[in-house]
Amino acid sequence: MKTIMQSFKTRFSLIVLLVLAIISACETTPAFVDCRVNLKGPLASATRVIEDKLVNGCEYSFDSYLAGLIDIAIANPTPENKKTFSDFLVRVSDQGTISKRQAKGIYNRYFNVKFVSLEGDYNTCSQVCPVRSKVLADMSNELMDKEMGLMQASEDAGSYYRADHLLKEAEIVLEATCRACSAGGI
Amino acid sequence: MKTKLTIITLGLPAAIAAMFAANVMAAASGPVMRLFPTTVLEDIKETGAVAEEMENSLQDVIARLDLQQQLYTESRCADADEDPGCGRIAKQLGATYLEMLSNMTERLPAMETAVNNTRTGLEKRLREELGQKSTPSDLQNTLLGRVSQAENDQPAIALRGRSGIRLSDRFKQYYDLVATRRSGSSQSLAVIASDIYLDMEEASQMIAATREEITRAELMEQLNQSFGHITPEMTQVVNGVKSILFGESALMSPIAAAPMPQTDAPFVSPLEI
Repeated sequence: MKTIMQSFKTRFSLIVLLVLAIISACETTPAFVDCRVNLKGPLASATRVIEDKLVNGCEYSFDSYLAGLIDIAIANPTPENKKTFSDFLVRVSDQGTISKRQAKGIYNRYFNVKFVSLEGDYNTCSQVCPVRSKVLADMSNELMDKEMGLMQASEDAGSYYRADHLLKEAEIVLEATCRACSAGGI
Repeated sequence: MKTKLTIITLGLPAAIAAMFAANVMAAASGPVMRLFPTTVLEDIKETGAVAEEMENSLQDVIARLDLQQQLYTESRCADADEDPGCGRIAKQLGATYLEMLSNMTERLPAMETAVNNTRTGLEKRLREELGQKSTPSDLQNTLLGRVSQAENDQPAIALRGRSGIRLSDRFKQYYDLVATRRSGSSQSLAVIASDIYLDMEEASQMIAATREEITRAELMEQLNQSFGHITPEMTQVVNGVKSILFGESALMSPIAAAPMPQTDAPFVSPLEI
């Protein structure tokens, strides 16, 4: 009786081990995800294709997808592109691919007159002045993205010129303000 | 007792209402409004008046200098040191240059005081209002408010170094702009304040350079050395004075094309900052 019990225990252990081995094998074998995509216009349908890819394991390709979408928008310029991008970014942030902050940053960098590079919650003397040249260089780079987003993709030349003017005024105001800050020992 | 009570009951709500109204106004105008208190405005007016006096007193002598310099160049005197005619022109030029410097010696202290008062006043205001009390986001909102209003607002002032006008006229323009906008839209005041402050910095440097040059020229006179040729320092000082006072070397290129009119209501994204 004891021998039968021992034999049963051994068999049971072997079965359990086998099942565990099968389960762990299934878990470690990666499912192949093809993140390549051949994007074509119109922009709205291209964003849907990208959203599908993003929820199916291609989150790490977000930056290249975004660049592709911008290219499509430039190739098919219309004021509607601004809204299409906004809706797309809201959806991908809702689905958790990017954060709300990233979504805001991307949208405003390309499609808003305001500069993401000149944002912050601390005072100008302490936050901007020590790195004024870098902030202004970042703003100049951002203006190039606004040129793509506003002028080329959205046909919104008016907003682009406002951004251009804003940058020039910011240069003057920051130069004066930072000189005043340093004169006061700040 | 009854009168006191009436004053309190009537006066207190009125005072609270007044305080509330003041707060609302302050919130609406933002910190930029405080960039130009009456003292700074008076300094600007004073600097304009002093600059005008200086321009008037220097206009003739600078015109003569220009003519003599033109004559010197057209006579090809730069390569003819031994020519007696060229020597006479060079001496006349040197004398006129000294006259300009002595004229400036008289006017410089008043100009220096006015410039420094305006610069110091604005420096303090810029530091406090834009540097310490504003975040970069506030600054951008302030400027953007001004940019978006530019179409319907008064004509925008030309940015610094681009006006090509006399210093006194520039100050008159500044004064008018500040005086009229102080009670109206305030956003452009940040740009105007910065513009004047940076102008004052340049003027201060110019005054310091001129003082150095005056000392140098006086020393040369003491050593009884007449000016035999036009030195680069002379040209630099004359050009600097002309540029600051008469705006002659200012760039005239526009800074950006005018915004295109928008017909439809623009799309506003929920992501906008």
